[in-house]
Amino acid sequence: MDPSLYLDRDTFVHRLDPRTKMFLLLGMFALPFVFLDPLYELGVLALVLFFGYLARSLANLGRIWFILLAILVITTILWSIVGSGRTPLFLFVEREALLYGFSTALRIIITVIAGMIFLSTTRNEEVAIGLVRLGIPYRFAFAVSTALRLVPTIVTTGLTIGQAQRSRGLDLDSGNIIQRIRNHLPLLVPVFVTTVRSTNVFSMALESKGFGAGSRRTFFLHTAMGRRDVLVIVAFAALLAGCIALRLAGYGGLEGFTR
Amino acid sequence: MKPEVSIEGLVYRYRGQQKPALDGVDLEVAEGEFVVVMGPSGAGKSTLCVSLNGLIPHFFRGKMEGEVRVGGRSTREGRVGEFAQEVGLVFQDFEAQLFSTNVALEVAFGPENFAVEREEMVRRVESVLGQVRLEGFENRTPATLSGGQKQRLAIASVLAIEPRILCLDEPTTDLDPIGKLGIFEIAEDLKDRDDVTLIVVEHETEETLDADRIIVLREGQIVTDRPAREVLRDVELLQESSVMPLQVTRFFHEMGLWQGQLPLTPEEGVVEFRRRGWRMSPERHKALVEADAKREEGYGEPVIEVEGLTHRYPNGVVALEGVDLSVRRGEFLAVLGQNGSGKTTLVKHFNGLLKPTEGTVLVGGEDTTKQGLRQLGQTVGYVFQNPDHQIFSDTVFDEVAFGPKIRDMDEGEIKERVEEALAAVSLDGRGDEDPFGLTKGERQRVAVASVLAVRPEVLILDEPTTGLDYAEQRSMMDLVRRLNEAGSTIIAVTHTMWVVAEYAHRAVVFRGGKVALQGTVREVFAQEDDLREASLRPPHIVSFGNALGYPVLSVEEMLKVTEEA
Repeated sequence: MDPSLYLDRDTFVHRLDPRTKMFLLLGMFALPFVFLDPLYELGVLALVLFFGYLARSLANLGRIWFILLAILVITTILWSIVGSGRTPLFLFVEREALLYGFSTALRIIITVIAGMIFLSTTRNEEVAIGLVRLGIPYRFAFAVSTALRLVPTIVTTGLTIGQAQRSRGLDLDSGNIIQRIRNHLPLLVPVFVTTVRSTNVFSMALESKGFGAGSRRTFFLHTAMGRRDVLVIVAFAALLAGCIALRLAGYGGLEGFTR
Repeated sequence: MKPEVSIEGLVYRYRGQQKPALDGVDLEVAEGEFVVVMGPSGAGKSTLCVSLNGLIPHFFRGKMEGEVRVGGRSTREGRVGEFAQEVGLVFQDFEAQLFSTNVALEVAFGPENFAVEREEMVRRVESVLGQVRLEGFENRTPATLSGGQKQRLAIASVLAIEPRILCLDEPTTDLDPIGKLGIFEIAEDLKDRDDVTLIVVEHETEETLDADRIIVLREGQIVTDRPAREVLRDVELLQESSVMPLQVTRFFHEMGLWQGQLPLTPEEGVVEFRRRGWRMSPERHKALVEADAKREEGYGEPVIEVEGLTHRYPNGVVALEGVDLSVRRGEFLAVLGQNGSGKTTLVKHFNGLLKPTEGTVLVGGEDTTKQGLRQLGQTVGYVFQNPDHQIFSDTVFDEVAFGPKIRDMDEGEIKERVEEALAAVSLDGRGDEDPFGLTKGERQRVAVASVLAVRPEVLILDEPTTGLDYAEQRSMMDLVRRLNEAGSTIIAVTHTMWVVAEYAHRAVVFRGGKVALQGTVREVFAQEDDLREASLRPPHIVSFGNALGYPVLSVEEMLKVTEEA
């Protein structure tokens, strides 16, 4: 199984410049926090899903749906209990608290899906180039993209090690919390040791391929801000501004919620 | 002519180590040469490689004496990045050195660092992917490639920098036979080019025949540096250096031939054998076959029974299809086939890591789906390929005690079992040591001991000899044989054909998820053509025997059945 999220497809979203995609990502992080009304949040969710559809990246939802569902259920329940409002619904739960919980859950879900679409449409190398084009030194940009790469690598190593330890009779799910954390020791130590070891080879290989050999560097991937990028950025900025104006005008809030 | 590489009095001591890894190495390599470096684990082979492009002294912390010059320039004088353009270094661990999201980008990374213009990069990517036979793979993710393809990609990514010297550190160790072959073909092509100097660290003696020179390292010193065919005939020197001698050569050596006359390949051997008028005795060969049959009669009832097993992974890939197999108590079964043929998928059904999609797997007469992983672990112990994937304790004792401990045994019982297991792997009295301070061979033994401590009836070993030198491989397999003779049933998944020939009783060959061949090792190895279809090749001595009429499995057997004129 390929543990990385990137989907090699030729879509409108894939073809955008990495800088544009980074801007969209940040915008998509901001947008859900403009509103409080779940109805409006559902609108934002629809927008992000539409983007995912355009990028033909919704297949990755299948890999994270469980996390999304867990966020939805836990957040909604938690806020329903903790928050308070003025319209009793049932038992001690008020309508406003329930809606607020639902909104908060949607906010988190939207940011997670936006992140997923970004990783599904942007190569690690593009992240690096994007950062370099924004004026960040290549070494730092490379470190960021390497960190992104490390996550799936560690997941794969962890899966193999999990099998090896379960074969020895390791049972992760027994005992109290402390016991359970201790249960994971046989996983963590080998994952750590293996990762450090392969990181060492990795850095030797980098040096051996001339990483940082000269001050100038070329890029194999061709990136350029086109008219399309400008259009997308302007359109999205306008949308964001419009939403903020809407909210300031008094729409999309949630009346009567108190913590 | 000026040498491409010249090393004078090189001594290197890693920080915190008492003994130097290299201890006075003098070496010159001329342009266009193909040099193979051999020697036991810990001899300093990898250290020699990393000293070529300045990783020593710049990357590693330690003390270096002497001088390494590449193209006339001392490695002390420049950074690693500068020498990278002249010396391409490929490491054994191909997983760790690939990091890009597709093949083309991986290859382009080196040229990017040297600010090569884009058009030139495109040309180089195309050219080197052709050289390593990965055309058409440009857009593939490296993670989806086979081991052999990954290693070829690692070589391509270095070739793209167009270095004049290419150094490969054990490039084939982790590969299946077909993957190995791919690497040797590349080496072959490069060898024919006069502008590339090739330095290869290699364990497989059978693959060094084409080298110009062989250098044997031992304890940081060069013990021999002579033309390849001369070194290969020096059977005793190779054995002393933990390098496996060519089997046909060893056979003739044991028959008392003078060193200069020794044939190297099975073909040369057949000619020499016939010229001397020797023959294989049919009666003595029949005795070998009868001994096989007698051993088979000694097996107990079936302990693992597989019927109509099909396994489909969640992504739809059918890894096994309609497999029938039975393993009896006391057997030593080898599971063969190239990567992706279904070997590992099969054995993971035996200890319950995988469940059949269709068909049944019975262990100890009971369906595996009805037994938990821990209960199955009592019957079937599984030693994974990489010991570092399971070792986590501070001491060897604790590591081995893990299995018994989680099965709630009392102190006395645990102590007894750990001591018994450590004795079985010849690590008795070393329970207090830190497992991470041991050699790879010793860590492998700790992994075996930790499985033995549960006293399983069946022991599954996944690639038990990978990454070990010849002496370590022998001692590992001798250990497995002792366990087998003491009553354990052994199932070994392996690519190392001579290990199968000399140690296993029965072999099952997988091809595309189906059983292609099965029988006694002798029967299976007699069918060389069928093996080749499964991308396998029997060891030299087996081919030699087959060519002369009868399948033999070891040099010792060949000596036994040979009648001199």
